[in-house]
Amino acid sequence: MTRKTTPRTSALQLTDVTKSFGEISVMKGVNLDVEAGERHAVIGPNGAGKSTLFNLISGLFAVSGGDICLNGRSITGLPPHRINRSGLARSFQITNIFHRLSVFENLRIGVLARHGVRFGLFQPVSRMRAINEETVDILERVGLEPRADHLAGDLTYSEQRALEIGMTLTTGADVILLDEPTAGMSREETAKAVELIRSVTEGKTLLMVEHDMSVVFSLCDRVSVLVYGSILATDTPERISANRQVQEAYLGEEAAT
Amino acid sequence: MTNMRNILLIAAVLVALVAVPPFLGLGWQNALVNILIASLFALAFNLLSGQAGLLSFGHAAYFGMGAFATLHLMLAIEDGLSFPTPLLPLAGAAMGLLIGVVAGFFATMRSGVYFALVTLAIAELFHSLTPHLQGFFGGESGISSMRMPWQGFVFGTVLEVYYLTLFWVVLSVMALWAYTRTPFGRLTLALRDNEQRVRFLGYNAHTSKVIIFAVSAMFSGVAGGLQAISNETANYALFSSHISAQVVLQTFVGGATIFFGPVVGAVSFTLFAYLVSDLTRSWLFYQGLIFVLVMLFAPTGIGGVVQHHLRNVRRDDWLLLAGPYALAATGGVLIAGAVIYLTETVAVLFGEEYAVQIRNAEGSLPAYEMFGAWWEPFGIATWLVPVVLLAAGGAILVKSRGNILKCWEKMGREVGEGAHEPAAPGVAK
Repeated sequence: MTRKTTPRTSALQLTDVTKSFGEISVMKGVNLDVEAGERHAVIGPNGAGKSTLFNLISGLFAVSGGDICLNGRSITGLPPHRINRSGLARSFQITNIFHRLSVFENLRIGVLARHGVRFGLFQPVSRMRAINEETVDILERVGLEPRADHLAGDLTYSEQRALEIGMTLTTGADVILLDEPTAGMSREETAKAVELIRSVTEGKTLLMVEHDMSVVFSLCDRVSVLVYGSILATDTPERISANRQVQEAYLGEEAAT
Repeated sequence: MTNMRNILLIAAVLVALVAVPPFLGLGWQNALVNILIASLFALAFNLLSGQAGLLSFGHAAYFGMGAFATLHLMLAIEDGLSFPTPLLPLAGAAMGLLIGVVAGFFATMRSGVYFALVTLAIAELFHSLTPHLQGFFGGESGISSMRMPWQGFVFGTVLEVYYLTLFWVVLSVMALWAYTRTPFGRLTLALRDNEQRVRFLGYNAHTSKVIIFAVSAMFSGVAGGLQAISNETANYALFSSHISAQVVLQTFVGGATIFFGPVVGAVSFTLFAYLVSDLTRSWLFYQGLIFVLVMLFAPTGIGGVVQHHLRNVRRDDWLLLAGPYALAATGGVLIAGAVIYLTETVAVLFGEEYAVQIRNAEGSLPAYEMFGAWWEPFGIATWLVPVVLLAAGGAILVKSRGNILKCWEKMGREVGEGAHEPAAPGVAK
């Protein structure tokens, strides 16, 4: 594993983040520190609140307490589009694309946002060369250029997952959140997805939810274990899998089933 | 190839729209003005409903406000304001935009059913308030004005009004078409597909939807303004739910998924009203029946069926399809005949006139005249006609449906939703 020796800077920092839905408390003071440039996984048993954590960071849900900082600035309470513009992009566990638009257009929507063309009404988009070239570039990086003109809804599942990752790249964010990017994939598809994630997150900060421990081992610098709304431990994958507390709470449980 | 064909088609339509009307009678010229206005209104509505996926049930509000604003500007010109008459629809546009921003701000806070209900409520608000507002809306009787001459144009004839309307409608349609090619136009489609993802890509979804709503309301206001210029009068009935519903029906019958679909719907409904409303009082019933049939058998609308055929049927396939389609059309016409016969019979038998005749005949049911013949209410022939028509038409339709399915299979292509489609236009005859 390549650990950074340069002074550690936090890309994403969560301090005592809590969340409750009515009486039920789902996040009980989460502290998480994702260093700039690292690949960081969140693992945990079902119902531990991994997706909720992502929804809190990306602004889909409002936190009940605590603070979330992105690159040193608080993003607590901002709406999703403001958080995105601050430099954080996310994918979704359930594929969340524009089904009736072409693959190319799916990606171009994000590229347009990055260039600040959010209300462009006075120029045809086909003439915006820089934007279209950049879209082609991302299309190639996720390996979907043969499918550029197909409707996104007509893609295979793993292609849609690749598109899902491509869309998180379009807005130029340097912190990427991927929610179970390999869920439901075959072994070969997973291997390809891991390579794709590795190459596209080069030089960026990655925080991902992942169930597949082999993916976590091959991809991530550090792992945080989330159990019932709080972080049990954060360490390298090797040391996490050796951690007895973690084994009891999570890995042991999985080994037992 | 397709592009060239489209350009030629549009050019031909434009030339016809410019060259033909001088040779038409007043009635037809007037009908064409109404068709143009309805087409623009439906296109403006579909920007919101078809492209952004926000179904508004209250677009009469923006149409009506555009008309009132334009009439007030006309009144001001009458009083001596120097404003070029041909630019009057700008008042409608400005008012539509203004009301659209305000109403859209609230309506687009919700989506789906709730959005539809809020738009409905806003239009009803206008409809119930305006009769009581004497100043701006002229109370129940509304306000009237006159078209004032400008430069060499007198705007005294229907033909002049027609050309003014044509100019504004073509201009607006071009603008609406251009809109679909802009980044914001593409974002509009993305919002329809997945609003949540749009937000996570850095867009403020609410602001975007307010803008779409306002643009749609602005062009509805232009359409309303043109109507005001044509009618020289407006009253609170412009805000009625009938107007809001009409544009929904036209758009969906024409096809909301295709840019020019709503125009197809607006043209057919306006023409239908113009031609059939003089012939029978039941024309609204027939109109509703057509809507139901299109929704049941061709949910993508007339435009959708046409597009499906243009995309999937090659030239030599048409020879294959012509026979079964003609057969289906025959069946459709027979069934349409039966439906019309029954509808008109019911209209006569339960009508006021016939009630008087029954009283005069002291309780017995006298013969009645319909379609230039005399019919006995209990005569065998009277009821044999629709039964035979229905049976024959039904048998033919069932038979031709099988043939059509076979043809599509032979062509090796998926059967469109419109496989049964010839029946629907058949009923309209």
